[in-house]
Amino acid sequence: MTEALTTAQTLSLMGAGFVNALTPLNLLAMAASVTLGIVIGCLPGLSAAMGVALLLPMTFTMEPATGLIVLGGIYCGAIFGGSISAILIHTPGTPASAATALDGYQLTLQGKAGKALATACVSSFFGGLLSCISLYFFAPALAKLAMKFASPENFWLSIFGLTIIAGVSSKSLLKGLMSGALGLILSTIGMDPMEGVKRFQFGQVALYDGINTTCALIGLFSMSQVLILAEKKIKERGNVVAVKDRMMLTWAEFKLITPTILRSWIIGNIIGILPGAGASIACFMGYNEAYRFSKHKEDFGHGSIEGVAGSEAANNAVTGGSLIPMLTLGIPGESVTAVLMGGLIIQGLQPGPELFTRYAPMTYTFFAGFVLIQFFMLAIGLIGSKGFAHISRLSDAILIPCVTVLCVVGSFAIRKNFVDVVLMLIFGMLGYLVRKFDLNPAAIVLALILGPIGERGLRRSLLLSGGNPAILFSTPLCWALIILSVIGIMSPMLMNRLEKKSVVPESPQGDVDNRTEAEVSE
Amino acid sequence: MKKFFALMLVLLLAMCLMVGCGEKEQEVDENAEWAPTSPVTVIVAYKAGSGTDNTARVLTTYAEKYVGQSLVIENLEGGSGSIGWTALVNAEADGYTIGFVNLPTYFSNIAQGGVDYTAESIVPICNHVNETSVILVAADSPFNTLEELVTYAQANPGVLKASTNGNQASNHIGAQLFASTAGFEYTAIPYGGTADQLLALRQGEVDFSSAKFADFASFTSEVKVLGVMATERMADHPEIPTLGELGYYDQWYGSARCIVAPAGTPQNVIDFYEAAFKAAMEDADYLAAATTASVTTDYMDAEALAGLLAAQNTFAMETVTALFPAE
Repeated sequence: MTEALTTAQTLSLMGAGFVNALTPLNLLAMAASVTLGIVIGCLPGLSAAMGVALLLPMTFTMEPATGLIVLGGIYCGAIFGGSISAILIHTPGTPASAATALDGYQLTLQGKAGKALATACVSSFFGGLLSCISLYFFAPALAKLAMKFASPENFWLSIFGLTIIAGVSSKSLLKGLMSGALGLILSTIGMDPMEGVKRFQFGQVALYDGINTTCALIGLFSMSQVLILAEKKIKERGNVVAVKDRMMLTWAEFKLITPTILRSWIIGNIIGILPGAGASIACFMGYNEAYRFSKHKEDFGHGSIEGVAGSEAANNAVTGGSLIPMLTLGIPGESVTAVLMGGLIIQGLQPGPELFTRYAPMTYTFFAGFVLIQFFMLAIGLIGSKGFAHISRLSDAILIPCVTVLCVVGSFAIRKNFVDVVLMLIFGMLGYLVRKFDLNPAAIVLALILGPIGERGLRRSLLLSGGNPAILFSTPLCWALIILSVIGIMSPMLMNRLEKKSVVPESPQGDVDNRTEAEVSE
Repeated sequence: MKKFFALMLVLLLAMCLMVGCGEKEQEVDENAEWAPTSPVTVIVAYKAGSGTDNTARVLTTYAEKYVGQSLVIENLEGGSGSIGWTALVNAEADGYTIGFVNLPTYFSNIAQGGVDYTAESIVPICNHVNETSVILVAADSPFNTLEELVTYAQANPGVLKASTNGNQASNHIGAQLFASTAGFEYTAIPYGGTADQLLALRQGEVDFSSAKFADFASFTSEVKVLGVMATERMADHPEIPTLGELGYYDQWYGSARCIVAPAGTPQNVIDFYEAAFKAAMEDADYLAAATTASVTTDYMDAEALAGLLAAQNTFAMETVTALFPAE
């Protein structure tokens, strides 16, 4: 291994990286990969990880830096692209956009699809760009955090994540908790992670690893949406909302979402660094914090651009963050970085300190490419959004069958497994009922994602300590997460009380619900 | 405008559908020389970017030249490989679907029950990769030799913890083989996969682990390898003793990744692939790429592989079953 580089050397390598990244070939690669990434992200069932995996073999013949730039472009593009279908047709293209659907779709119903898309695009851009800062300057320091995050911390992270349910819960906290509990129960399906006992599998091999999150997501969000749209269509001729839309954000709106973007950047970045977590959790956390600190809480669930910004900035901030432990320590935090790491290894580059010494020119070219990718994402996203926004004007007669086909194909494409399609349909019906009863589909998905992380964390911790629960309170990080969880549970109640005292009682904050849609179409 | 967007949606749908469809019907003549006339699906039962996937992709990239068609890798992950292997054995035996099978996992899945395939569901084509298991500890571990570890473990039964890549998964078997032959008790902690398993070792959450060299190639300085599970010391690492030398498990243990076809695939098809992959594994470009990607190529022809499969089957059914008595 070569010796550590001086600051001056590193800075000059960083500069050289930009020069190397600006070759016509690299720029072309960025434009093409970001566009492709956005398309992949848009399509339900094709996630960022699958997009990166699909393109991986094509990068073998490229220069390592170009190959990585292509994969990075797909990654960032897909994470942003998921928001497009989430906003327009209430179909999160990837799990990372589940929280975006909450307010984004409400904006579409109000005829503000363009604004919602622009918000998503601008937030994704800043989330991604800011995450590059930590990638450049704090990678080694932040990587240490990943090393500290062991089983007890993972357990508390999932508990902290579950407190978000309070934030995303519609009118009633009780119903939010019921939804969360339902999600947790569903998350126990599949093979027991510790002892290999099969739980509620009913002989289905496809349920071995539990319910596929993407399947559940497509069912709960998209298929149920189709059913609700169709029902409305049958009952009353739904009137199309007039589009009164301006794409560009006004200065006031931009100022409104700036603090949210900064918060989401930090959240997304940290979540990205932690192994095991990922963009799908970050979007909920970003959304939740946006809500907690918002001065316009009443807008949340009824089309808040802050909500869209909170979710989208956070999930794109994950991209830079998740590269840190992968590149510095060889820890692939989530599935996309695992594929990226595979790409590196095939190129003969082992993740680790050597990437920043011996292979520093390649690494910094990739970083520079990653920065430039964000600009391509902004440009392509904004240009594309203008066109995409028109989808919201399509009549339900076209949308309903199209979305149905997308749901079926999307859930099949995940693993080419028909059981997944059936599962998606079951979740579609479940989602329909859930929304009829004002339960919360977002809370179900959140619990479905966090349940296994929490279960593994808890059971592994107890196995490690020989059954002594003291291990769960053994490190400062554990306590930090416990305190965060307590704040997470208490703050909505406290804030409610404070607000009730100070001003007129506010209308309860809502979530995806039918009432809002009814109000809008009135 | 509306029409245009409707058209765009339809195009997107068509794209999705194309992803989904890839079936082909072909007549196979048993005796004639056979060669594929359309792309061949190669099933990998682990996700893209995993160790199995990487080695498979390095080979298929260079094997296309000899197969004469594109080899399309399909990652069907989940259930410790059983989802992909179920798809493989149920695929049409027409030579257009082949796949990578990991040993001993393919057989240990059968031994554990709950899968639809058997040892007879596949026909061997050739072996590709062989990786020897090792026993390792973190670099700051107090143990510097296997004997130290074993002495401590015998004196303190059940205190030492080993991370595994899953309950009764390949690296759990490795740890169990070591512990049972060295005569000590330990606590096995299952993690989601090899990456998480080794992260736990680096974090100091567990005391030792069993894995393969390629699994920790990016952080070799953070671990100490105390012993290899082979009959002879490894050429690249002559300083590391074998477990057998010290009186512990004296057989080879590790994982092999081989190429197989669904049962019923005609012999001429098998012969074709055997020759094509042999040529690919001798290709200078492949060998260079394999070295960069640290793929430990170990070609075995169909006959030798059949022997390995049989041995691994017995190993899974007898040795592994005995290692994990039903509780």
